[in-house]
Amino acid sequence: MSPGILNGEPAVGPDGPRQKSMATADTLRVGCIALVEKDGQARRAEILSIKDTKSGRQFYCNFDNFNKRLDEWVPSRRIKFDHDVEWPSPDKDKPKDGKGKNSTAPKKKVTGNKAQKRPGKREQSVTSEAVTPRPWPELSESQTQSRPSTPRDLELKTGQTPAAIGDEMDLDDDNNTPEVKKEYEPFSREREIEKLRTGGSMTQNPTELARIRNISKVQFGPWDLFPWYFSPYPESFTQEDVIFICEFCLSYYGEKKPFCRHRQKCSLQHPPGNEIYRDDYVSFFEIDGRRQRTWCRNLCLLSKMFLDHKTLYYDVDPFLFYVMTQKTEKGHHLVGYFSKEKESADGYNVACILTLPQYQRKGFGRLLIQFSYELSKIEGKLGSPEKPLSDLGLLSYRQYWSEMILDLLLEYNERDEKSSIEAISTALAMTTQDVEHTLQALKMQAYHKGEHKLVIPESMIKQRGMAKLKQKRYIAPERIQWKAPVFTASTRTWGW
Amino acid sequence: MTTRKVRYKKLNTKTPLPVLREDQIDPTEYESLTTESQIATGVEQAEENEYHLQAALKSVGASADNEIPVPPPQNSVEANYDELYPTPYIEPRNYIKFSDTVEETIRGSLYDMTAEDEDFLKTYNTKRSAKEKLSEDEFEHFMEVLEDTASEQAPYAAVDNTVVSYDVMYHSMVRRIGSVKLAETHAKPVYEYWKSRRQDNANMSLNPAVKFETHQEHDDMDPYVCFRRREVRQTRKTRARDVQVADKLKKLRRELEDGRQLVVFSRQREFLKRELLKADRLVFEQRAKLKEIKIRLNIKTDDDDLVNTKPQKRPRTEAQQPPRATPHGQVRQGARPDRSMEQVDLPELSHKLAEKENELRHDVEVKVQNHRRWNQNFVDLTADPLPPVQQEKELSFRPAKTTFLMTPPASSASDSMEIDDIAPSTPSAPEKSLAPFVFKGATPEDSDQEEVPSYRRRVGRSGRLWIDRRTTRTKTESSILPHELSSLQSDRWKYDQDDDDDGGPSTYKIDTNSLLQMKFRSTIPPPPALQNRRQGTDPAQLQGYPNRPALPQVQIPSVSSAAPSAPSVPPQAQPVQASSS
Repeated sequence: MSPGILNGEPAVGPDGPRQKSMATADTLRVGCIALVEKDGQARRAEILSIKDTKSGRQFYCNFDNFNKRLDEWVPSRRIKFDHDVEWPSPDKDKPKDGKGKNSTAPKKKVTGNKAQKRPGKREQSVTSEAVTPRPWPELSESQTQSRPSTPRDLELKTGQTPAAIGDEMDLDDDNNTPEVKKEYEPFSREREIEKLRTGGSMTQNPTELARIRNISKVQFGPWDLFPWYFSPYPESFTQEDVIFICEFCLSYYGEKKPFCRHRQKCSLQHPPGNEIYRDDYVSFFEIDGRRQRTWCRNLCLLSKMFLDHKTLYYDVDPFLFYVMTQKTEKGHHLVGYFSKEKESADGYNVACILTLPQYQRKGFGRLLIQFSYELSKIEGKLGSPEKPLSDLGLLSYRQYWSEMILDLLLEYNERDEKSSIEAISTALAMTTQDVEHTLQALKMQAYHKGEHKLVIPESMIKQRGMAKLKQKRYIAPERIQWKAPVFTASTRTWGW
Repeated sequence: MTTRKVRYKKLNTKTPLPVLREDQIDPTEYESLTTESQIATGVEQAEENEYHLQAALKSVGASADNEIPVPPPQNSVEANYDELYPTPYIEPRNYIKFSDTVEETIRGSLYDMTAEDEDFLKTYNTKRSAKEKLSEDEFEHFMEVLEDTASEQAPYAAVDNTVVSYDVMYHSMVRRIGSVKLAETHAKPVYEYWKSRRQDNANMSLNPAVKFETHQEHDDMDPYVCFRRREVRQTRKTRARDVQVADKLKKLRRELEDGRQLVVFSRQREFLKRELLKADRLVFEQRAKLKEIKIRLNIKTDDDDLVNTKPQKRPRTEAQQPPRATPHGQVRQGARPDRSMEQVDLPELSHKLAEKENELRHDVEVKVQNHRRWNQNFVDLTADPLPPVQQEKELSFRPAKTTFLMTPPASSASDSMEIDDIAPSTPSAPEKSLAPFVFKGATPEDSDQEEVPSYRRRVGRSGRLWIDRRTTRTKTESSILPHELSSLQSDRWKYDQDDDDDGGPSTYKIDTNSLLQMKFRSTIPPPPALQNRRQGTDPAQLQGYPNRPALPQVQIPSVSSAAPSAPSVPPQAQPVQASSS
């Protein structure tokens, strides 16, 4: 499909007709939607912030249907002022909440709802609603989709984005309710926030501020990293061109001098925990958030720059961190990690999972995922990652799941045995839902002659054969030296 | 949307599914389930439509690799990595075990000096001699102490702008910086510098730190506030099942506790038993010694010395002592006063029994007297008087005294307390009065009293002496024929048989026209149905035959209810009664 189609179609504006007219760089306001050039193409973009620099006024743009990590500051010359600009709906543009008041409200409500379902429990990983990139178009989209009478919707469903049809389905069905309600009560946002406050379980920062990336560059080990999302580092860091993070203790510095001083004193050369896995490629360390509060907070701040769906609202105590490192002559370098609730009411075996950008696309993600499932196998539990997944997370998990299931099914096929979803689930420590969804995604489920069958498409077998030639690395389960940690009632009290 | 041609069975996760390759099946034959199914991705709803994600999802299974673009990292140009990270790493052979915190791994102070600090230090040091120069490490140490003390003394400095005074700071600096001289030299200027920096920084900590919660109202909206304290974990709402389970657990716990208590107590009991045994043994040994001494001193006693009497009897035996012990005691007391105490301990069984018997007898006697006194001036003139009617015979009539041989004691002489048995066997005075207390009611036997021939002597006119006589003839007045009576007595057990004798209904010869029978028939209880209605006054019950509703058997009560002791008593007791009245 061409980007052009995607560009316009799924992200039709808010429900009500928005006021449209021409604008200039001076009149453009926060909340406006304008056509902005991105990678040589004009895309609709919401203006989230405006700043004046020496070189002129810059606009922080969130591009329609692009992940927020591609948001950027653009100079006014990239904005197409020869096209109409959509103005933010006035009733939603309440001055009291400052800038960028628009229909993001319902989205926040969604988050709140989720948080309320598990009050006080989660520290991370609920998506930051306020931070979500494109609240209005999707929202209205999903709403209208449930009303097929609209011609536009029909067009959509028969259109070129069939996958999108399924997208309205969410794991949490409850989410739809407040959204619909929102349609009729435009002011419910404040009410919703108030409710969350009294409920005491808000996991999201409702401010628009958190939608805007606040750190421009991070010097981390030998790398310069460019953050993707907002992270609540000290506010003074926002003004720095570059911040410095110690590669081993993850301490953060806004200036070079204290960082260099710190480096002279820091003696850490590996994550401050117990090594529970080692092979010639990677090591894993287990770190208790309660014991290593500073280190784990630093890790969370760092990873928040690359994880949208993570909240640092609560402290790190109830989590264990499994940190993957690669060893050089300098020490164990942080490659990625996943966090895991010490006690997960929903049976999640992963809360947040991240491969640092400099190690991405090298197969480390699947090592992390595999390791999380190996731990679940040792625990004798079925595991699943906490939702929502990010786009990258979904792809990584889908890939891992489909590979594992495919290998397993090919074995069954060779032995000419029958399998069942439960058998697959048990063998891989995956939840049956994840198995089923993967089978559906791979289109392997078939109904034939009155019975359900699993059919392995030829293309997948070929693809798998090719992938195997690449000699991927795997975790060797026998090298794991780990027992499921047991926490007493007192250590499980997360409040201080 | 396509409509399904076939209605699918719902897929159970436990259903065994055949696994086939695509080439093992006719492609036209199967319908893929997935054509229109909606797959849950788990991605935030708002992001599912994102262009790059959709492109990537579509390409799964396709050869084209659509990647999601991300801002790429770069090799850092400005930092000299080897300079910043100079320490080579030596890998230990075993898996690393490590629990030091970040703060503990820092060699030196936790304060890291800034460029501003560096400038200050440089200018500061230029004024000083080489000896007095303040090194960077020392400076950081000072700053660390200042910062620490400030956060300790004025944790809300950022809010209320408290500045910790120099005196306080000086003391903690002297205390924590090893060298007093060093502290004295540099404390003041460093403090002043620190103070000015703090003021520039709104009196907040100089090391940039993330925002923690300070004020609930602003914090919720502030995206920079992070790592909040967790709310107290909400206890799950108790469901009925939970309550049930909890109750069960509680009960189990309680029961286990009870069991434990039992064990504890039985343990205690065993200990006490052991103590007791020890004590007993001690007593026995003492007694053995006593025995030895007795033998040595040639005092003869029986083996009672060694018998362990029951302790609770002691007070009684002591009370009894005087009458019992007098015979022997007097002799011995002279010789050995302490031995009399021993005697108290060893009463004889026969004494005990006699004592008991006496008591009993006395008791009975008292009761009899009481009863008699109670009945003294009371004449029961009702139709069927319960207590025996005191015959209003003239006092001067005297029953004829006949001497009978005493009845031998009942063959099954027992210690049973049945008055009937005792009465004949013990001819002592009290027993005599026992007989009248057998309740006889208005029975034929009452007339027995009248049968006693009695005589009266009176002096008539002119000194004539009369002897009046009452003979057994009076019986006729009671309208019971002699032969009937005798038959009454003789066939008293005629109808008796074992309860469980279930031979057919036995027949008894009854003279239906006899007075007795007629009299009895009038007392026959109404039919059971009626009877049930007034259970309280069930005549059968009253008569002591609840199990025998049948007519022939019921007829007995009229006789036997009169007196259970009847068979043995009447003939012999007559003289006794007579004499007492």
